[in-house]
Amino acid sequence: MTYKELEHTADVKIRVVAPSLEALFGEAACALMEVKYGAVDAGPVRYPITVDADDPVSLVHDFLSELLYISEVENLVVASADVSIRGGHLEGELYGERFDPAKHSGGTEVKGISYSGLSIHRDKENYILEVIFDV
Amino acid sequence: MYEGIKRIGPYEWEVPTGFVPGMRVPGRFFLSEKLAETLEEGAVQQLANVATMPGIVKNSLAMPDIHWGYGFPIGGVAAFDMEEGVISPGGVGFDINCGVRLLATPLRVPDLKKRQELVERLFSAVPTGVGAKSSLRLAGRDLLEMLMKGSRWAVDQGFGTESDLEYCEEGGCMKEADTAHVSDKARRRGLPQSGTLGAGNHFLEIQVVREIFDQDAANAYGLAEGQVCVMIHCGSRGLGHQICTDHLKELEAATKRYQIHLPDRQLACSPLDSPEGRAYFGAMAAAANYAWANRQVIMHNVRKVLADMYGIGYEDQKLVYDVAHNVAKFEEHTVDGKSMRLCIHRKGATRAFGPKAPDIPAAYTSIGQPVLIPGSMGTSSYVLHGTAMAMEKSFGSTCHGAGRVMSRSKARKSLKGKEVRDSLASEGILVRAPSIGALADEAPEVYKPSREVVQVVHEVGLSKLVARMEPLGVIKG
Repeated sequence: MTYKELEHTADVKIRVVAPSLEALFGEAACALMEVKYGAVDAGPVRYPITVDADDPVSLVHDFLSELLYISEVENLVVASADVSIRGGHLEGELYGERFDPAKHSGGTEVKGISYSGLSIHRDKENYILEVIFDV
Repeated sequence: MYEGIKRIGPYEWEVPTGFVPGMRVPGRFFLSEKLAETLEEGAVQQLANVATMPGIVKNSLAMPDIHWGYGFPIGGVAAFDMEEGVISPGGVGFDINCGVRLLATPLRVPDLKKRQELVERLFSAVPTGVGAKSSLRLAGRDLLEMLMKGSRWAVDQGFGTESDLEYCEEGGCMKEADTAHVSDKARRRGLPQSGTLGAGNHFLEIQVVREIFDQDAANAYGLAEGQVCVMIHCGSRGLGHQICTDHLKELEAATKRYQIHLPDRQLACSPLDSPEGRAYFGAMAAAANYAWANRQVIMHNVRKVLADMYGIGYEDQKLVYDVAHNVAKFEEHTVDGKSMRLCIHRKGATRAFGPKAPDIPAAYTSIGQPVLIPGSMGTSSYVLHGTAMAMEKSFGSTCHGAGRVMSRSKARKSLKGKEVRDSLASEGILVRAPSIGALADEAPEVYKPSREVVQVVHEVGLSKLVARMEPLGVIKG
């Protein structure tokens, strides 16, 4: 597991640490999918994603919201995301497998990505994201 | 209790203006001393933040199931006037018209043979869990009708009876629905999920009425001790979540455009009489209608299973009532002796209109509307009735449920889904879910006891106890 679940009574709060913004977004995508579907594995399906926003915090919010949407309508359980970020523009590919009720029903329905407590910080080596999934 | 909060009655607390800068009215919440032990400071802060919003009338309120939410606290109720007031998705929540309906059957417990088979058949009849897909094959045009007409659409399709419509809050349809503001994304999410239960705290439960507190009200509602009922708890699924996500973004921009100063960006809002505010309200109403139609379709499938297994008539299974827990609506209320049209936000709160209030079925008008409070898995659920006191104190509102006390991560560390299932089975409660492991998330001990919460609203008089139901079988999302 590359993310840590922090204590939050009503919702799911996670912290992700990664050496680059791109890796951070990829790990956050993976965390969201693991919360929602329980088990996540690499698979043969690819899907493109593009998101634009004003700042990194809004960008991660909109990226994860878009991921929720794509995952639901494309029946796609995303295991990794390969994205490039230039300013407020993100584009890349999502990789994963098709939703399988027998395998992916052990998670928690995520209703939305909360702006509350959403932050991206940087220390000497890493970017640190904290985000709450409204469940 | 936190510093600065004043106790003004045995169960009433006031958050004075000045608790956070810019409060226009005081905050007020209803809580017993015991429940006060689990009150989060963040939730009080949120209650106070809501009091800073333009056009708020009288008080920013919270019910005894108050806890920390998105923008508004869960259990929050706020009324806004039509001139200065605003509308905010944070005051409704992601799951628009998450709500509850109660179906009363003519069955008694001894009639309920083959209970395990019943649970299995209900589980097959109602698509359940994360990623559940509808057995309805809707075209885009059907979805639009569903969004405009709510329960009426479902009944027209053969999923219910005419009288079901009378026994829903708003008749199961908000006329303000406007599909022009429901995005393609929301529609694409909504299309395959109509008539599905979803996951999380949503459930379908076979219950027995164990205790009657108010015989006259129980008679009016058609409830008797020993009677078998079915409770359905779900909302507007991905469609509602997407509408909330889409419009939060629009309303964030509107907040800046209209120079509304807020202490928290999650309170993003727009004047009621602005294009952005009207757009959100229209889309929200469409999602509310979707949720009503959903619960109607699910109830239809339940009725068919019960009719088939126990030889009872479809129409002999009566809808007691259907209430919304997450919604904003225009209502008339009397404030300081003056009748006012207000936009009431209820987020994790139930309308609790008292006797003779408008929009109550004729058969219930002398009692007040039914208030349905679901318990957590394995614990009692309650029926209460609305009161004149609620009209006076809380814009006709009361609590909606229990509220968590233990996080999901802690629950999964300390509890095993299989043990939760086995322990409930030893109490005679059969549980069926797509994933047994996920049951730990919703174990009875992760929630406040709903009895405590219900007792507070009963004591204050925001609603009065009518009946208590115990679960016999649970289908968990």
